Amino acid sequence: MVEGKGAWRRRRVLAGMMGGAAALATPAIGRAAPSGKPVRVGGTLSLTGFLAQTAVIHKISAEIMVEEINGRNGFLGRPVEYVLLDDQSKPEVARSLYEKLITVDKVDLIQGPYATAPILAAMGVAQRYGKVMIQSSMGIPKLQTYDRAFPATPFGSEPNVTYPNVILDCLATFPTPPRTMAILTSKFPSAQFMALGMKEQAEKRGVKVPLYLEYESGNRDFGAMAARVKEGNADFLWVGSLGLESNLLLEALRKLDYRPKNHFHLYPAPGPLAVSPDGDKALCSTFLEPDEPFMSRPGMKRLAAEFKEKATKANLPYTTIDAQACGMAAEWQILEAAVNGAGSLDDAKIAAWLKKNKVTTVYGPTRFDGPYNHGDAAQLIKQVQNKEWKVVWPKEFAAPGVKLIAS
Amino acid sequence: MAELLAVSGLSAGYGRAVVLSDVAFRLGEGEALAVLGRNGVGKTTLIDSLIGVTRRFAGSLTLGGREITALSPEARAAAGIGWVPQERNIFGSLTVQENITAVARPGRWTLDRIYGLFPRLRQRRNQSGGSLSGGEQQMLAIGRALALNPRLLLLDEPTEGLAPIVIEELLRALRRLFVEDRMAGIVVEQHAHKVLPITDRAIVLDRGRIVLEASSGSLLADPAPLERHLGVTGG
Amino acid sequence: MPSATLLGQALISGVLAGGLYGLLAMGLSLSWGLLRLVNLSHFALAFLAAYLVYELGTSYHVAPWWSAAMIVPAMFGIGVAQHWLFDKFRVNELASLLITFSFAVILEVGIQLYWTADFRRYETEYSTKSIKAGAFFIPVLDLTLCIVAGLLAWGTWLWLRRTYVGKALRAAAEDPGIAAAYGVDHKRLAYLLSGIGAGYAGIAGTFIALIATLAPAEIWAYLGVVFAVVIIGRLGNPLGALLAGLLIGASESLAMAVLAPAWAPVVSFSVLIVILLWDPEWL
Repeated sequence: MVEGKGAWRRRRVLAGMMGGAAALATPAIGRAAPSGKPVRVGGTLSLTGFLAQTAVIHKISAEIMVEEINGRNGFLGRPVEYVLLDDQSKPEVARSLYEKLITVDKVDLIQGPYATAPILAAMGVAQRYGKVMIQSSMGIPKLQTYDRAFPATPFGSEPNVTYPNVILDCLATFPTPPRTMAILTSKFPSAQFMALGMKEQAEKRGVKVPLYLEYESGNRDFGAMAARVKEGNADFLWVGSLGLESNLLLEALRKLDYRPKNHFHLYPAPGPLAVSPDGDKALCSTFLEPDEPFMSRPGMKRLAAEFKEKATKANLPYTTIDAQACGMAAEWQILEAAVNGAGSLDDAKIAAWLKKNKVTTVYGPTRFDGPYNHGDAAQLIKQVQNKEWKVVWPKEFAAPGVKLIAS
Repeated sequence: MAELLAVSGLSAGYGRAVVLSDVAFRLGEGEALAVLGRNGVGKTTLIDSLIGVTRRFAGSLTLGGREITALSPEARAAAGIGWVPQERNIFGSLTVQENITAVARPGRWTLDRIYGLFPRLRQRRNQSGGSLSGGEQQMLAIGRALALNPRLLLLDEPTEGLAPIVIEELLRALRRLFVEDRMAGIVVEQHAHKVLPITDRAIVLDRGRIVLEASSGSLLADPAPLERHLGVTGG
Repeated sequence: MPSATLLGQALISGVLAGGLYGLLAMGLSLSWGLLRLVNLSHFALAFLAAYLVYELGTSYHVAPWWSAAMIVPAMFGIGVAQHWLFDKFRVNELASLLITFSFAVILEVGIQLYWTADFRRYETEYSTKSIKAGAFFIPVLDLTLCIVAGLLAWGTWLWLRRTYVGKALRAAAEDPGIAAAYGVDHKRLAYLLSGIGAGYAGIAGTFIALIATLAPAEIWAYLGVVFAVVIIGRLGNPLGALLAGLLIGASESLAMAVLAPAWAPVVSFSVLIVILLWDPEWL
């Protein structure tokens, strides 16, 4: 990160308690409303600091899910309360907050934080106390070594191998399949991990990678990199970007009067890239979009509608639900299924149930019996078409009437 | 001769320490006063009290009939007190010319006139204040104070630490100021023989009090009273 | 070996990117050098201005220069008010660091409450315009920034050198007691300077809104590099701050073009250390 950020961040803890009041507001049709002592689920999100951009959408998803669960049967008939603290985007803060949640607040269960570094920090604490931890945003599955940690997102156990091949398969269907590829990536660990995988798989399949560049996260000036991309003029540009890095790179390229022929972006902020004039036809990784066939998955329609409402109320510029926001929803769907399935709040029993059962989440049927508790990979490719993201690959997941456009 | 400065019943010092006790004297327009005394008798405290950086316990000051007792240092400077500090305190990062023009106020002491008094400063005008020799810094400190076009010029031990030849040059300039231009001034000095020839009157301080007041001419003619108070007539 | 076109283009884009460093450094350098106050809230004020330009532009369709015309005077007012606090509580150099840090944090929280933590991007028609010069492209917005920064730096430098107020400020910065005894009312001048510094934050913020990504945490993204720029440019020297900014921008960009982009963050501090050790006379 940028110098100073860590040292200058202040300690600020925001405790968010949701669910209690919301449970009353949601009609529980044909079912008894959960009653009794609430089941307290503790977790942190990076509500402030450099990861705060995504934390806020996770928070909204969690709010929606807790309301929804309380509108059904809660956990084992008891209402659910989410005790949310702010880890300030810092792993060490996440570590001590999970310690506090477990030992001082004595929460019944925990829910994972957002992003690889806080997840790893929280996982250490969870392991010490034997707590089940479900997380949705650790992009490097092999780091999830704790046997009671479960992924909510279908990365698969080797996304650095599987996903590049999804991309290469997709590229192979182009009228003129790319023969050279420029790879630019942030040194942010999960992006760099995928970039290295992309390079290896591309070369294995005969696509040359004449330009491979890594840049520091928080990089401010993309001018020089743009000049190198323009000079290389590869058939395909793969960008391991986070946040608005892709926008800045594409703008820098346009300032040089250069438009990449076809370009892919790993983890960009979805809204700004979709609406940017430079984002047209951009490809991007995803697990689902608010279209068919995904909208028919359990809870998805309601989630998308409520997300739009709450995101608008929270003054977010981009209010359409995306794969990121769904990760948190899946975490709660998995926890709900596991607690009620195991019939217990005991972490050992919940973990055992998960390893033996499949849970159908907004991401589809998810299993946890593979390496690192991962199941099948389900990465998809989406494309900006008319300023909206549409899943274009694999074909069976493409929205009705939508086709991949190669330029 | 019209009265310029009146000091009456002044007791002053720093913090809780009283250095000056009941000091009173007057200075006319165009008059130059020598303040003599051994080390640590309160000469610099007197100057500091006039510019307004000491703690005053009693007494009052008027300048040209105007009460200045309660004025801040910058207001006293605006009222017409020009000060040449003992340490010179040149602004080292400013050029010679900037040192003068940074504080200049309109009046008869223009940049040209100051350079006329100290031709060496003109040669050095684009050098930084910090690069000057001790004597040049002293000239600059005087030039800077003159640029304020003060009614009263205060000099605190202007010859201290300078080479004899530089002292000569400096005293010639001061003579021009006090004797020819009739600038009103107060010169603090340990060495009476340097300053008596260029001043009209002298006071001698001892332990914070005025112990002798006489015309400079009479003291030059008969140094005996000085010897009594200073022990020496000056090196 | 990279081609001449690549090197030239990298140099152009780096120098122009350095303009923003210089612009941000200028206000900081003035208050640090001449008031002995290290104003960390300078970055937060710049981002506040940037968010306001963004808000006025996206919600009310106000052109950025009109926004700037409103925001810069307001920033001047904030700078003056801020100095009133410093003056009232007799804040020294070290305390100013802590107090302005708290200001910055409060502003950051305020920005996050109103604009959320989400990324904001102000898309304008100028954002990707370029002038073609031979084989090179010169981005119009970055060029404008550099010209504005250059005029401000030059103007401020002249103001400090040539005017009574400027020289008095420099004298007071060196020795406030002595300056006061020469009639320099440095308190009033300090208010003026504090206002000017904040006004510069407003101008920098306007360009940040047009060029960069807005997110509350980005306030701290420029801290390290701009501090290096302030020190390389010498405290209290606006022209030095700008030139140091251009130097760092160019070095970062060349490092990205010739070595690897990941080298960029190391560049500013390497240049700082080299310059501190070498201590060239022209500085």
